[in-house]
Amino acid sequence: MTATSIAIEVEHLVKRFGSFAAVEDVSFDVPAGQVAAVLGPNGAGKTTTIEVLEGFLAPSSGIVRVLGADPRQGGRAGRARKARVGLVLQTTSLDLQLTVAEAITLYAGLFPRPMAPAEVIEMIDLVGDAQTRIGALSGGQRRRVDLGLGIIGRPEILFLDEPTTGLDPEARRELWAVIQSLVAGGTTVLLTTHYIEEAQRLADRVIVLDEGRVVADATPDQLRARGGTPVIRYHLPPGVGAGDLPAVLAGHVDPVRNELLLPSPDLTADLDALVGWARRYRADLTGLEVTPPSLEDAYLSLTSEAPCLS
Amino acid sequence: MSELTFPGHTAPDKTASALPATGTLLLSQIRYQMLLLMRSPRGMLFSLVIPVLLLVLSSSRRHPDPQLEAALVAGLAAFGLIVTAYISHAIGLVTGRQDGVLRRWRATPLPTWCFFAGRIVATVLTALASVAIAVAVGTAIYHVHLTGGIALSLLVIFLLGALAWAAIGTAVTALVPTAQSAGPVLMVTYLPVILFSGGLGSVSAEPGWLATVARYLPAEPIISSATRALTHTGPGLSLISGRDLAVLAAWAVGGVLASAVFFRWDPVRPRHAPSR
Repeated sequence: MTATSIAIEVEHLVKRFGSFAAVEDVSFDVPAGQVAAVLGPNGAGKTTTIEVLEGFLAPSSGIVRVLGADPRQGGRAGRARKARVGLVLQTTSLDLQLTVAEAITLYAGLFPRPMAPAEVIEMIDLVGDAQTRIGALSGGQRRRVDLGLGIIGRPEILFLDEPTTGLDPEARRELWAVIQSLVAGGTTVLLTTHYIEEAQRLADRVIVLDEGRVVADATPDQLRARGGTPVIRYHLPPGVGAGDLPAVLAGHVDPVRNELLLPSPDLTADLDALVGWARRYRADLTGLEVTPPSLEDAYLSLTSEAPCLS
Repeated sequence: MSELTFPGHTAPDKTASALPATGTLLLSQIRYQMLLLMRSPRGMLFSLVIPVLLLVLSSSRRHPDPQLEAALVAGLAAFGLIVTAYISHAIGLVTGRQDGVLRRWRATPLPTWCFFAGRIVATVLTALASVAIAVAVGTAIYHVHLTGGIALSLLVIFLLGALAWAAIGTAVTALVPTAQSAGPVLMVTYLPVILFSGGLGSVSAEPGWLATVARYLPAEPIISSATRALTHTGPGLSLISGRDLAVLAAWAVGGVLASAVFFRWDPVRPRHAPSR
């Protein structure tokens, strides 16, 4: 496979369960080596899409290819393709009776060119618990074992279905570090997540699903620029209240904190109004902040209003 | 895609990219499945400890009839075997399905047949171990003697019996929605069979039709053939009833076919609330 080839192809994917369409006409490609995050609210179709790509579900219609082949391909060719794909399922999927080392070593034996079990155990930071039964580990540690089993075969593609859901912030950051080290080695990653920060931290590209359709497909920066609004923050000086501000600004003052908090689609006009007022009142603008649009704002505007920006 | 490299690792040799040999995979699966069975305390209690305990407790009221003593040993050995081959095996599959472990295996390059073969071989070996312990304790306590020929006959009967029950257990998992419901469903399906087949002692006043039905269920042929073997007094192999072997073989084949059609790797999705 060349450096520019397509690792994952999804063309007009539709998946129905009876009369219920979980995924309706979803299309996207993921080039080799890219990290793509699929974002969306509950019920958006993220898990169904990734399960079709993992080969667990057959599409109702449309075409899906992983490493150039049908993910449900059987026989020796199917086995050879599975050896090039790793996955971390939405929930931990481990035999609790095995120790960490036993589980990692067992799965290493399935692949033609696995990583050394000791190296994987070190990567997932469980050296001290290598001989501990998985049932005795914490939720975050079990999730790291999940990831270890997903990467032991040196996958070219790694599917991560909400890999950090339910983890505390520290455990989440530790898992991100492992994923980032894999990405540095050239692994293609498709992850689904509820966490905007996770997508922002890991992904080259964000695909937003809502009600079974793609509503945006862009880089995090592009998405912020498209869907978000910068915010003007200004803590009003003592003795100044909302009534002293121009009408266009007065309605955005938080009376408790006496702070102007203005989402500004027209930054130039709003700043002009604020600066003009400050000049007239000789008000000190120290502390004035303009924060760029956040990915979260962009995501929320997309999934609530559902405009198709792709 | 360019070849992957990981920190501290050189690019792997292309000749090493062949999939592992299936023989190696199978041995690894057998070892893995045996570890799971041995580390299941409830399963071990019922398959290894309970039959021995019942044999010891029953020894206080020893019966002068060697035929009845042989039937007791055969019945309790069959009880231990069925608990392992049917209950522990099926609960393990349902739990693995519910926990996503089966789904993970399905996504690996392991051949499907290798997964099931490993699981069933491990189950049969563990079941035979429980039989060996029960028979050894039985011969020590009761008027039951063991020769090489008898042991070989018992091996054939219990091996086929374990295969039949493991195949049925695999198929029955399709009827069990969750790990929580596995125990009750499996008990309801096996306990009457083992009781009416005399696994926990002969049933007095059993209607004739029930005795006839029991002969075509997969417990009575094991117990009756094993009882005949344990009371065999001549040299060499004891005769095993062709009908018993045929009944067990039919259940084994039927279980495998039903499993091939109905086995589910994933839990049932709720109909009213489909997951996207």
